Amino acid sequence: MADAPYVTANPFNRSRAALLFLGCAVVLTMLQYAALLPSWLHRLPETMIPPFAAWLDVVFNFIKDDLGLLKLTRFLTSGLENVLDASGNIFFGKRRWPNLGPMPWTAVAGVAAVIGYYLGGWRLAALAGGTFVWTALIGQWKIAMETVSVLVVAAPLAFIIGLSWGIAAWKYEWINKAIKPVLSVLQTLPFFTYLLPAVIFFKVGPTAGAMATIVYAIPPMILMTTLGLQKVSPEVVEAGKMSGCSRFQMLRHVYLPSARSDILVGVNQVIMLCLAMVVLTAFIGMPGLGAKLLAMMGSFKLGRSFEIGITIVLLAVTLDRMSKAWVIKQPVHFEKGTSWLNRHKTLVLAVCLFVGFTLLSKVIPLVGSIGRGQDFSQGRELDRAIKGFLAIDGVQSVTYGIRYVLNVWVLNPFRDFMLSIPTPAVILIIVAFAISLGGRREGIIAGVFFGLVALSGWWDRSIITLYSVLAAVSIAMLIGIPLGVWASRSEKWSRRILIACDTAQTFPSFIYLIPAIMLFGITATAVVGSITIFAMVPLTRYTIEGLRTVPLEMTEAADMAGATRMQKLMNVELPLALPTMAVGFNQAIMFAFFMVIIAAFIGTQDLGQELQRTLAGTDLGKNFVLGICVSLMALTFDVVIMKWATQKKQALGLT
Amino acid sequence: MSSEIPVISCKNVWKVFGADPKAYLAKTPPDRSFDDMREDGYIAGVKDVSLDVHQGEMLVIMGLSGSGKSTLVRCFSRLHEITAGTIEVEGQDIMSLAEKDLIDLRRSKMGMVFQSFGLLPHRSVLDNVAFPLEMRGQDKHTRRERALEVIKLVGLEGREDFFPRELSGGQQQRVGIARSLAIEPDIWFLDEPFSALDPLIRKEMQDEFLRLQQMLNKTIVFITHDFDEALRLADRIAIMKDGAIEQCDTPDKIVLRPATEYVRKFTEDVDKSRVVRAGGLAEVSQTGEGDPVDAGLSVQKMARMLIEDTREFIPVIRKGKPIGAFSRAEALDILLGDQ
Amino acid sequence: MKTMTTALTAGILTLAPLAAFADTNTDSSDPIVIPIHNWSSQIVMSNVVGQILETQGANVEYVTTDSQAVYESVRLGDVTMELEVWEGAFGASYRAAMEKGGIVDAGNHDAVTREDWWYPMWTKDACPGLPSWEALNECAALFATPETGEKGRYLDGPVDWLKHGQERVEALDMNFAVVNAGSAAALWAEIGAAEADKKPIVVFNWTPNFAEAVWPGEFVEFPEWEEGCDTDPAVGPNPDALYDCGNPATGYLKKAAWEGMEEKWPAAFATLQAVSFTNPQIAEMAKLVDVDELEPEEAAEVWLEANPDVWASWVK
Repeated sequence: MADAPYVTANPFNRSRAALLFLGCAVVLTMLQYAALLPSWLHRLPETMIPPFAAWLDVVFNFIKDDLGLLKLTRFLTSGLENVLDASGNIFFGKRRWPNLGPMPWTAVAGVAAVIGYYLGGWRLAALAGGTFVWTALIGQWKIAMETVSVLVVAAPLAFIIGLSWGIAAWKYEWINKAIKPVLSVLQTLPFFTYLLPAVIFFKVGPTAGAMATIVYAIPPMILMTTLGLQKVSPEVVEAGKMSGCSRFQMLRHVYLPSARSDILVGVNQVIMLCLAMVVLTAFIGMPGLGAKLLAMMGSFKLGRSFEIGITIVLLAVTLDRMSKAWVIKQPVHFEKGTSWLNRHKTLVLAVCLFVGFTLLSKVIPLVGSIGRGQDFSQGRELDRAIKGFLAIDGVQSVTYGIRYVLNVWVLNPFRDFMLSIPTPAVILIIVAFAISLGGRREGIIAGVFFGLVALSGWWDRSIITLYSVLAAVSIAMLIGIPLGVWASRSEKWSRRILIACDTAQTFPSFIYLIPAIMLFGITATAVVGSITIFAMVPLTRYTIEGLRTVPLEMTEAADMAGATRMQKLMNVELPLALPTMAVGFNQAIMFAFFMVIIAAFIGTQDLGQELQRTLAGTDLGKNFVLGICVSLMALTFDVVIMKWATQKKQALGLT
Repeated sequence: MSSEIPVISCKNVWKVFGADPKAYLAKTPPDRSFDDMREDGYIAGVKDVSLDVHQGEMLVIMGLSGSGKSTLVRCFSRLHEITAGTIEVEGQDIMSLAEKDLIDLRRSKMGMVFQSFGLLPHRSVLDNVAFPLEMRGQDKHTRRERALEVIKLVGLEGREDFFPRELSGGQQQRVGIARSLAIEPDIWFLDEPFSALDPLIRKEMQDEFLRLQQMLNKTIVFITHDFDEALRLADRIAIMKDGAIEQCDTPDKIVLRPATEYVRKFTEDVDKSRVVRAGGLAEVSQTGEGDPVDAGLSVQKMARMLIEDTREFIPVIRKGKPIGAFSRAEALDILLGDQ
Repeated sequence: MKTMTTALTAGILTLAPLAAFADTNTDSSDPIVIPIHNWSSQIVMSNVVGQILETQGANVEYVTTDSQAVYESVRLGDVTMELEVWEGAFGASYRAAMEKGGIVDAGNHDAVTREDWWYPMWTKDACPGLPSWEALNECAALFATPETGEKGRYLDGPVDWLKHGQERVEALDMNFAVVNAGSAAALWAEIGAAEADKKPIVVFNWTPNFAEAVWPGEFVEFPEWEEGCDTDPAVGPNPDALYDCGNPATGYLKKAAWEGMEEKWPAAFATLQAVSFTNPQIAEMAKLVDVDELEPEEAAEVWLEANPDVWASWVK
């Protein structure tokens, strides 16, 4: 770091420093190729790697047993279990107190439709009612309700915990400062790292599933709460104070209601993250859709897995749309003299439907539940269709060609190249990248983070992880950005592509894996391909968003200056959309780091595979070290790219 | 007109924004200029202000944006903690009040109207107006009754169940006014209440406001950046610049005898004959012959009389009592713009 | 003396019903938790045993768990039993849990397990010398993929299953490259893709397994397993290498239970010890779900109805 003085905000010095680092990296790599580099500079010798995992195990065991945390969490578990049992009884008839359930599917669908209507009119009513009707007809009612029964406990708990922390972080700056980094790590930590502690502390089964879900869903709730409270207009605050509010009254009657929209956006995110965990928590015994999906995939029933995937997407889209409608729903007054019945007609309708269908189900069992053999599952037919598609010669030869070119000429050489670069050279390259895009602070962060990864002892696996992410994001850019540019030309296509993005994002990523393998085999292509699908979503979405929010005056000015379509795009629209697109790029990288762990189920040699292995045991320390490696790499990109986007936005005066 | 104790009395009040204002102010000479302080990294929101507001008086604080007028009024209600000086409300030092007593003071004595209304978006008109009553724990029935009363007073009858976003700007501000009046405050703060409204509505609201004030006769601190509005409404005007008060006087005096160049610039384009009233011109030492005129008449209103009359001094009465006389020539000068 | 006899008789008479009562009803009413994994035979078997226990008045609950992590849960009593302990796949986790204590052996099934290199029947058309491993090695080029070049590809189970495919290829000097799948689902996807145009494929597989019903196939016959093949280089055809023979063709399939089960649910524990399935029975249960597409609980009902004489003897 002798050249630190060069590294200032001045762009010229910044790029010189970056070049210097890059130069060092090239020299090191050349030396390595010439076999002149001492081996301890190529890879850190084993003896120099501190036994982080063992140390962490000691710490965990101390906290778990000596400090009695396990006793505490097991005590909490029994409480949570009672709640889950009760909701389990109501939703799918688990034989527990209060022994009322299960609710008939018709009643649930009816009430859902009424709520949908109340929040967003007929379209939402059809979506909400339709989702539950589909679930029942396709024969997944019980497993869907097993999932829902846990979500209705986990989501509100995540909401309450997130809200409380959000309020605390808003009230006390030191809490805010303390939890910000923790939240960043939590948001980039691979989900496997949540799962193992959840099992150890909260017992395998729905309790662990609920806890892992809650932990996963909390961070955005905290952030949105803090943000919303900070945004409350000072005049409203003063109006509250002048009305003589006490501190609690201020929070209860002024701050929280005024921050309603942001808090509800947080609620929306909580719901979406809870749904994202439906499949993942199945690894630790969460029953329901996820468990069934894994079982179906384990016995190669693609059609049925696909149907479960659709159910999850429908549930996610319904809850997403409903909670978004709730965000923008504003109170409306009733005309004078409106009767009680009219004022509460949705409530009355919902109650009537619920009671009506419940009574009806006593007479006609089909109204209460649809059993196997009565449903409309098309699993077998879908299987046949998929197999038929694969048997077409054209498909096989095309995928074989792609597989050959990508694996043999692109991906494997790229991986081998990355593995051949000496460790310090990789770190230098990353630092150079961070300095040139972010600045000095980002360079230091990148150096420290990747240095820690090197010290973790999982360097080669980390590099393979990184290679998969970079390869996938590059391919995703090649496809996703042009797609976004093209779609942004028309309102209609923008909307369609955005809906496709929503669907692709909520569709359980596991289901991509099987077709990927069937098309490309257990190879790097399948791994990178399935990551690409996932990483493309934010790239396309933010490209569309960035281009469509370019101020109208700018494009009009370009038109009046006589720019052609292409000139306008290259010189006006893309430069202005770039900061927004950078946010999409950042998300793409985050999504890729998420998906690369899932792609371990195809067969990889990266961190994900090692993490998957720890899941079977009780290796908390190792599990944590691996998770942190992923998190550190992801955070480096996050910090650098977000810094760049902010700088760029400021420079363009777009903030 | 003025009672023994002023309703609000502030002495050498400072409000400085920055990293450690108290320490900074302690070691800084009080005559350091606003710009120099900014160089030091501190903003003097209120700079050594001393001011009294009397019972039943309408004091208008006038200044451009950033002049510190809003900050000053927030010091009066301790929405801002002041850095130095004392503020007494009805003889009590508000800086020494415990949180609970401060809340009690606001609940019983103070009302405030805001520029962007500051309404709670999730509450109906009725619930917004009843909000201060709810906060002090009044039961539902009484607070509803009182809220309906003030809603009627501001002319929003029949819209009790509307939500703020369903109302026009002028109507929203009526809600703001109703809310501030709900607890029957003795002191009424209005922070640029009409600035966010378009000109036609603004005029209408000013008239409405004057009507209300005539009925209620409250002690008012009114903030505006609009000099015409200040002249129209004020008993006294305090003109602020860079946190300090340039001049505090009656409209007549300010127009006739601006204390600084800054104040004079404001008065330049004002039609003085509309502003200056007989009462403001009257000198106590003088007496005049013949029929007196009322102190509230503006020079413009007296134009015909001033031209046709021949007396040198014309006697002035307020509420039937003689308060002196003014020089006809001086009044004519104002009328003809020769001053 | 007489009074004493009377008292004793009276005592015995009053106690007798109590004793009888205690005898039949000592099982706790707390739910017996049966773990369920992600393959169908195990799910149906768990449901079958669960329903048998329910006929005895037990309260049964099912919980989905990871098939490796489950031994830790059994040890802690979070789940009560495990019905399929495969020697090859879970032997290590099971033994580790045994050493820590808290888990007990509840006897073996009649069924035996086998896991090894396997191919679907259509492969034999292209390489008729199968199932001999030498014949397989000669056909290696048939199994080549773009990534493996000249060599044939053998698709091994996930690395963490520790199946030593690579070691065996080296020990027997085979012309094969070993690729590890990431999960069982990945194996099935590869077989499913190969099925479309009947491409030859050799993968890791095991029995009893649903795959037998979907894709008929055979295990490759390697030099027969000898004790010590994995520890002593001298054992097996290659004197210098470990793993130079096939896996044992008759591995155990065990039941395990939580230590406290016998005391808490003695009747259920006795039944568990008696339970024993054969390979065809397991295959049949898997078929009900995998081929006939029944839900596991319905499949269990069907199986119990069809085979009353099999399970009647397990219930005392």
